[in-house]
Amino acid sequence: MAILLRSEIETLLAPLSDNSGLYDLVKEPLSKVMQDLVAGAARDRAWFFLPLIICDVICGRCEHAIPTCAGIELLKAAAGVFDDIEDTDSAESLPSKYGIPLALNTANILLILAERAFTRLKKQGVDSDIVVNIIDTVNSYCVTACIGQHLDLSLASEEFTLEDVYLRVIAMKSASTVECACYSGALLAEANQELIKSFTIFGHNLGMASQIANDIKGIRHLSDIKKHKITLPTIYALAQTDGETHRLLEAVFCKRPYGFLPTPDRIRDLLFSTGAIQYATIKMELYKQQALNTLFELERAGVKVDQLKQFLQ
Amino acid sequence: MKSQALQELVKKIFSDEKIKSQFMTNPDSILSQFSLTEDERKAVLKTHARLGQMASDSVLLDTAIEPNIWWT
Repeated sequence: MAILLRSEIETLLAPLSDNSGLYDLVKEPLSKVMQDLVAGAARDRAWFFLPLIICDVICGRCEHAIPTCAGIELLKAAAGVFDDIEDTDSAESLPSKYGIPLALNTANILLILAERAFTRLKKQGVDSDIVVNIIDTVNSYCVTACIGQHLDLSLASEEFTLEDVYLRVIAMKSASTVECACYSGALLAEANQELIKSFTIFGHNLGMASQIANDIKGIRHLSDIKKHKITLPTIYALAQTDGETHRLLEAVFCKRPYGFLPTPDRIRDLLFSTGAIQYATIKMELYKQQALNTLFELERAGVKVDQLKQFLQ
Repeated sequence: MKSQALQELVKKIFSDEKIKSQFMTNPDSILSQFSLTEDERKAVLKTHARLGQMASDSVLLDTAIEPNIWWT
């Protein structure tokens, strides 16, 4: 499957190969997934195969879903480049290395190639109605992700410090892409509405757990503290502290006036001491537990979900 | 969804040394004082069993979260 997916992506990129500059630019955001496909990382945690695995556990075959995996990978790569343009915080990013115009063009090409990937489902013998349904579903999830991204970029820090608001935003901008992969896999297996719904819930919970894990890493490795980025651990700490600790956290994350600010590692220690990381880790486990509950329900309905349990181990 | 009881539990453990020590030796005795859902209870116990009380230099924490960062 790794070889087939790699080959599918190479086929989609082939029209660009005459222009080596553009070809190399487009391949850069895809390099991690291409390396993983070559290295066989998929055997351990085959996240880019999520639509395939879901299709397989439902109907016992999945090769016809390969273009969907390729399409979703291309969309994720495009979103990554757009993110880098919006954030401008990494010297290694495409806009930092080559400038915003070239990065924008690259992201646009990746989007178009993703659309082409989905139309290639027809070549795999997938019924036209299902192909249209997949394209419509993916586009609808992309709109949701863009709304989430808009809220992330535009909400004032006061609104963002409410946990419910934060969870709603990450559900839209992050978890929706995992939901999309799961939904598409179930659709390609021609599953009934009940099964599609169950796999969508599984994808939502998996995506939420993954985003919160990323939030914890952002504090642990200081990157989100340096960027003054409000994530779940910070929201907990802001809600549960008072006095000097609260004022200090507000100064760092809500840019309130304060005297001399401590170093980022001191802020990290402070967040740990409030229980913020413990709380976020429990929330991550909670979403994983809810994803596991869905798998148990599917198991009771006769679906063999062992391949999916690896995502929760 | 926001988890009020979960927030209260974590706050209690991290602000009261006596509660913290009781939680470390007998988590159930503390958990029973909060109206957690069954899934929340499982999540607390799983986190406690794997990671205990985390500090910022916890290598175990990296090991626990890294495998979950596969999509974002």
